[in-house]
Amino acid sequence: MISTDPWVWLSALLTICSYTLLYGDNPLFRIAEQVFVSVAVAHSVVMGITTVNTRFGPLLTPAATPQLFITLILGLMSLFVVWRKYAWIASIPISIMIGVGTGLSMRAMMRTDLVGNLSTVIMETSRIFVGSPTDQLGYFIRVTFTLAGLVYLLFTVFIRGPVSKPVGYIRTFGKYVFLTYLGLQVGNDIIMFQGLVTSAVVRLFTTWLGI
Amino acid sequence: MAKIPELKSHHIWAFCLILYLIPVVVPVGSPFQISEITLKIYNIIENLPEGSIIVMGGSGVFAFDYEPGAAMIASIKQMAKNKLRLVGIPLGMESLQLHKYVVDTAKVMQADGGPWKYGVDYVQLPFIPGGDAALVRLLTSVQSVVTVDANGTPLENLPLMKDFRSYKDITLWICPHWGYPSIVRYVTGERGVPSVMFAHAYSYTVYAPYMMIYPDKVWMTNGFLGGAQYEKLVGFKGLGHAAVDSYTLISVAYVFFVVLGNITLLTRVKKEEEEAEAKK
Repeated sequence: MISTDPWVWLSALLTICSYTLLYGDNPLFRIAEQVFVSVAVAHSVVMGITTVNTRFGPLLTPAATPQLFITLILGLMSLFVVWRKYAWIASIPISIMIGVGTGLSMRAMMRTDLVGNLSTVIMETSRIFVGSPTDQLGYFIRVTFTLAGLVYLLFTVFIRGPVSKPVGYIRTFGKYVFLTYLGLQVGNDIIMFQGLVTSAVVRLFTTWLGI
Repeated sequence: MAKIPELKSHHIWAFCLILYLIPVVVPVGSPFQISEITLKIYNIIENLPEGSIIVMGGSGVFAFDYEPGAAMIASIKQMAKNKLRLVGIPLGMESLQLHKYVVDTAKVMQADGGPWKYGVDYVQLPFIPGGDAALVRLLTSVQSVVTVDANGTPLENLPLMKDFRSYKDITLWICPHWGYPSIVRYVTGERGVPSVMFAHAYSYTVYAPYMMIYPDKVWMTNGFLGGAQYEKLVGFKGLGHAAVDSYTLISVAYVFFVVLGNITLLTRVKKEEEEAEAKK
C-alpha cells in the first residue's frame, strides 16, 4: 500500500528530483541539491548542540569531574577561531588536538599498518612453498605485487650500475601492479554506486509505493 | 554495411533505469555463492554465548553506509534470535542515523514484534565526538566518555550498561562504516577484541590487508553481495538480494554497451581510413 507518511513522500520526491540530473541540469535537481546541503548543515548544528548538552550537562551536577571543565575551557577557546584578533587563542586547543591525535595514531599505525604489514609479507613469503598450489600461487602473487609496488614507489632513489636495468624492469612491473589495483578500485567503485542506486530504487518502491 | 545508430546518453540512462526497476518489481533470483568468510562471520555470531555484548560502531557517511547496512540488518536479526545484546556506538556524526535505520529495519524491538527490549538487549549511545582519542578513552571506561544514551536516559538506568564498562566486556565489534582502520588499530590491534567489517565494495579492497595482518581476529564481507550472502544465511531476502539482481542485469547491459561502443568506434575508424585512402 502506498505510504501515507508525509516524510516518506518528501523523501521520495527529493530522491526523484535528485535523479533528474541524469536527464540534464534542471530546477528540480537544484532544489533537491540545495535542500540536501541545508539539511546536512542543519543536522550538524543540531548534533553539535545535542552533544554539548549531553557532555556538559553533568557539569551542573555533583558528579562533575575536573576533566570536563578542562574540555569545556578548551572547547570555548577553540571558538575564538572566528575572531581574527584573538584567533591565536584557538591555536592552543587545536595544537593539543593535533598533538594527541598524532601521538595516538602514530603508535597504532606503526603497530598495525607498518609492522603488521611487514610481518604479513614475511609470513606470506614463507607460505609460498607450502600448502596447495592455489594457495601457493595466491601468496606468490600477493608478495611479488607488494614488493614490485614498493620498488615502483622508490622515486627518489636512482640505482646505477649493473642492477639498474633489472630494477627498472621491476619498477615497470610495479607500475602495472598499480594500474591493476586502480582498475580494481574503479570496478568496485562502480559496483558500490550501482548498489546505492538499487537501494534508492528499492526504498522508493517498498517504502513509498508499498510494492 | 549497416550503420549503427547513434545512442544518446539520455536513452542509455533510461534503459539502465528500467533495468534497475525490473529486479525490484520482479525478483530475478540471481544465483550466488556464500563466501567462506561470510560463513565464518555467521558461525562466530551463531556460536556466541547468550547475553554476549556486541558493539556496532564506527564513523561514516549514512548514504554510503547504506551498503554495509544490508549485512548489518541480517546480523541484527541473527543476534536477536540468539539472545545476544547490542550497543550502538556512533563515532561519526551520521553514524547514529545508520544505527537507527538498521535496528528499525531489522524489526527486532518489542514495539515491532521482536524479542529485544530497549535498555536490556539494545542500547544506542549518542554521537561521540573526539575521533581516535575518544575511542581509546571509551575502550578504557565507557561511562567516563558518555553518561547518557541517544535519548538522554542516564546510562546507570539502563541494565545493559551495567555489564558494559570497558573493552573487556565486548565480545565482538562490528563496523558497518568507512572508519574501520581506527577500529582495527585500537580495538583489535591494541586490545585484542575481534572485529568484523561489513564493508562497502570499494572499501573492501582497501581494507582487505587487515584480514591478512590479523587472520583470526578480523573478518570482512564484501558490499551488497556480502549482504546478500548474510541474508541467505539468516533466511530472508532484503536489500542485498535486490542489489545482486540489479548487478546481474546491469553488468550484462554494461558489457553490451561496451561491445556496441567498440564496434561503432572500429567501424568509424575503418571508414575514416578508407576516406583518407580515397583522398590520396
